[in-house]
Amino acid sequence: MSGPNEDNNTQLSSHIFGDLLDSIIVDVASECHRIAKLGLDRNLEEEEEEMRLSAQARARVADPSNSSETNTKYVVDIFGQTHPSVATEIFECMNCGRSIAAGRFAPHLEKCMGKGRKARLKVTRSSTAAQNRYSRGSPVSTYSPYSNSTSTNRLSNGTPSVAGEEYSNGTYEEPWNKT
Amino acid sequence: MCARNSIYTTPKPCKHLADYKLRHGFNTYYSIRNCLKTTPNGRTRVAKHTTKIPRCSFCDRYQGRLYFCLMCSSLWCPTHILLHTQSEKGHEVAIDMNRSELYCCLCCDQVYDPDFDKVVVCNQVKDLPGGSKSKTNGFEACGERSSKRKRLDSGIGLDLKKSKLLVSMRDRRAKSCYPLGLRGLNNLGSTCFMNSVLQALLHAPPLRNYFLNDRHNSIQCRKRSGEKLCLLCDIDAISSAMFSGDRTPYTPAHFLYSWWQHSSNLASYEEQDAHEFFISVLDGIHEMESKIRNSGKDDGDCQCIAHRAFSGLLRSDVTCISCGFTSTTYDPCVDISLNMDTSNLSSSNANKPIKPDEKTGASTLSGCLNLFTRAERLGSDQKLHCQNCQELRDSSKQLSIRRLPLVLCLHIKRVEHSLVRKISRKINQYMQFPFSLDMTPYLSSSIVRSKFGNRIFTFEYDNSNSSAAYEIFAVIAHSGMLESGHYVTYLRLKNQWYKCDDAWISEVDEGIVRASQCYMLFYVQKLLYNEAIEDSSFVHISPRRDPFDSTAGCS
Repeated sequence: MSGPNEDNNTQLSSHIFGDLLDSIIVDVASECHRIAKLGLDRNLEEEEEEMRLSAQARARVADPSNSSETNTKYVVDIFGQTHPSVATEIFECMNCGRSIAAGRFAPHLEKCMGKGRKARLKVTRSSTAAQNRYSRGSPVSTYSPYSNSTSTNRLSNGTPSVAGEEYSNGTYEEPWNKT
Repeated sequence: MCARNSIYTTPKPCKHLADYKLRHGFNTYYSIRNCLKTTPNGRTRVAKHTTKIPRCSFCDRYQGRLYFCLMCSSLWCPTHILLHTQSEKGHEVAIDMNRSELYCCLCCDQVYDPDFDKVVVCNQVKDLPGGSKSKTNGFEACGERSSKRKRLDSGIGLDLKKSKLLVSMRDRRAKSCYPLGLRGLNNLGSTCFMNSVLQALLHAPPLRNYFLNDRHNSIQCRKRSGEKLCLLCDIDAISSAMFSGDRTPYTPAHFLYSWWQHSSNLASYEEQDAHEFFISVLDGIHEMESKIRNSGKDDGDCQCIAHRAFSGLLRSDVTCISCGFTSTTYDPCVDISLNMDTSNLSSSNANKPIKPDEKTGASTLSGCLNLFTRAERLGSDQKLHCQNCQELRDSSKQLSIRRLPLVLCLHIKRVEHSLVRKISRKINQYMQFPFSLDMTPYLSSSIVRSKFGNRIFTFEYDNSNSSAAYEIFAVIAHSGMLESGHYVTYLRLKNQWYKCDDAWISEVDEGIVRASQCYMLFYVQKLLYNEAIEDSSFVHISPRRDPFDSTAGCS
C-alpha cells in the first residue's frame, strides 16, 4: 500500500472513494433485491400504467390541433341549458329581506352582515391552530398539525404573508422556500 | 407456492438454504445472535470481532463486503468465499456482515428466511433503547395482537346494500340518463372556492349516503337545538336539492349565510382558499354534531359524519440520532397536506418566470407522499430532549399513516415563499396523480418495517386487509394566479368524468382530468367506491338503520 508514487494521496483518496461508492451501491442493490423478492413493489406495473396514461393525456391536451375543451366558452351544458356569467336568479336576503340577484349575493351579504374588512382583525382560527399544533385533543379539533391550512398556503388570497413552517424540506440555498 | 399475505411474499428458499435448514434448523441463527449489533439507525451488522479488524481468511482483505460463514464463523471476501464452500461441505450459507442478509454461495444470490429475519428483528428490539417492554422504541412488541387494533381499523364493512328502497324520480327535468346528484351551483360572487368543495363533499360516498338516508333530520334538529343556524341542515338542504332531479343550477345562499356566521373571520367577499374552506366546513359539522350529542370526544373517536368520513390517524416517530431511542406520538387528521416533490427550480433567476418546459423532473403524487413519509433530519437548531441520553440531541422525524380514513383528502401545497423578497407565488407545475391509489407504502406498518430493513416478520398492527386501496372520485383544480384564480371540480360518477364549473356541468374525457392542475384530490376506499357505482341509480332510505352501525366494535 505504501508505494513511493508522487500522486500517492490522489490514488489513495480515489481508492477510498471507490470503496465507499461500491459499498453504497451494494447497499442499495441489496435493499432493492429484498424489496423485489418480497413483492413489496408489486404495484409497479399499475403505477407505470397510470404514469403512461397521464403522459398521454398531457400530450393530447398540449397538442394545439386538439380543440382545447378547457378553454372554450361554454355554449350549452349537458342538460341543454345556458347560464349567464353572473347568476340572475332572484331571491330574498335572509338577513335584510331585500331582493338580490344570486351572482351579487356575496358582496351584498358582506355589507349587510357587516363583515369583510373588520373581520380580518380578529384572530383567525388558522393561527390558533398553528399555536395548538403540538397540543393534542385541543378544542380546535379538526385542525390537524399536519394539515397546514394557515394563511400562508392559500391560493387566491388577498393577504399573503410569510410564516414559519414546522416541517419543510428546506434547502435554504435557493431564495424560494416551499411551504 | 409462496406464502403470501397482502403485504409481502415469503420467497421460496433455494435448494441449498432448504438443505441447510433441514440439517441445522435454527441453531446457528441463535448462536450468532450475540454477534448481531444494531446501530441507532436500525441497521443490523454482524460484529463478532470487536477488537480485531475483520479480514478475509484467504487474502486478508478488509475493505468492501465480507461474508460470515454460518457454519464455522470464518470470514471471506466475495472473491474467495466460493473457495471455502468448495473445500468445506455444508458451508454454503453465509451472512453479509454489513447488512445481515443471508447469502447462498452456490447460487451467488441473496436469499431470505423468515426464521432468520425473526432472530434479527428480536435482536433489534432488544438492542434499541427502550427494549421490548417499552412501546416507544419504534415499534410495539413482537407478535402481540391487540384487540385495540381491530377497533381502530376503519370499517370497510359498511353494509349499504341492505334495506334499500327504490324511489323513482318523477321530475320531468330529471334527464335520467345522467347520474343523480349532478347539478350546477351558482356563483354568488367569487364563491367558486365554495362551490368546488361542496361538489366534492356532496359526492363523497359516506356523506352522500348520510344525507340521502336522512341521517340529519332538519325538523328534529331545529326542535332540539332551538337554533336557526345549523351547517348540517344547510348541507342537507343542498344535498336534497342536488338529488331532487331538478337540473337548473342551485343557489347555495343560505349555506353561505350560515357559514359566514360560523367562520366569521373568513366572511368576506373575496376569493378564498378552497382547502381552508374545506377545513372550516368539517369543523362546523363537527361542532354542530358535538352540540347535538353533547359529547366532548376528541377526534380519534368522534362519530360525527365529518370525522367518520375523513378522520385518519398520523404517526410521528422522532428518533435520537445518537442512541436510536424513538418516541412515537399519534395525531388525528382530516386530510393530508403535501409539499410538492419538485427539486428547487428557481436556482439562479428568482425574478424570471419559469416556463414549463424548463423544468426537470416530473412531480408525482407518489413522490409527494414519499416526501411526506421520508425520515427527515431535524436541524441542529431543533435539538430535542432524548429520554435515553437525558440531554438535547440531534433527531430525525418520520411521519406515517397509522389509520387511513374512509375518504382520503390530499391537499397539494402550491404556494412557495421567497425568504428574500418576502412574497408568495403559486407553483404551477404539473403533478401526476393516479386514479387508483395504493396507500400501503405510506402506512405506519410499512414505514416502520422498512426502517428495520423490511424483515419478514408480523408486526403487531399489520393491516392485512385491502383497505389501503383507493379510487379517486373528485379533483379540485385551480387555474390562474395566487391572487385571482378559478376553481373547478371534476367528479367521477359511474366511471364518467364531469366538470363542475359553478353553474356549468359538462362531460369531459378522463384525459382532461389527468392533465389538469390538481389542488385537492379526493379518494375513497375502493370497496365503498365499487358499492357507490352500483347503487348510485337508487336512493337509499333506511330510517331505522344507521349505515355505520355494522362497523362499531367489529371484532
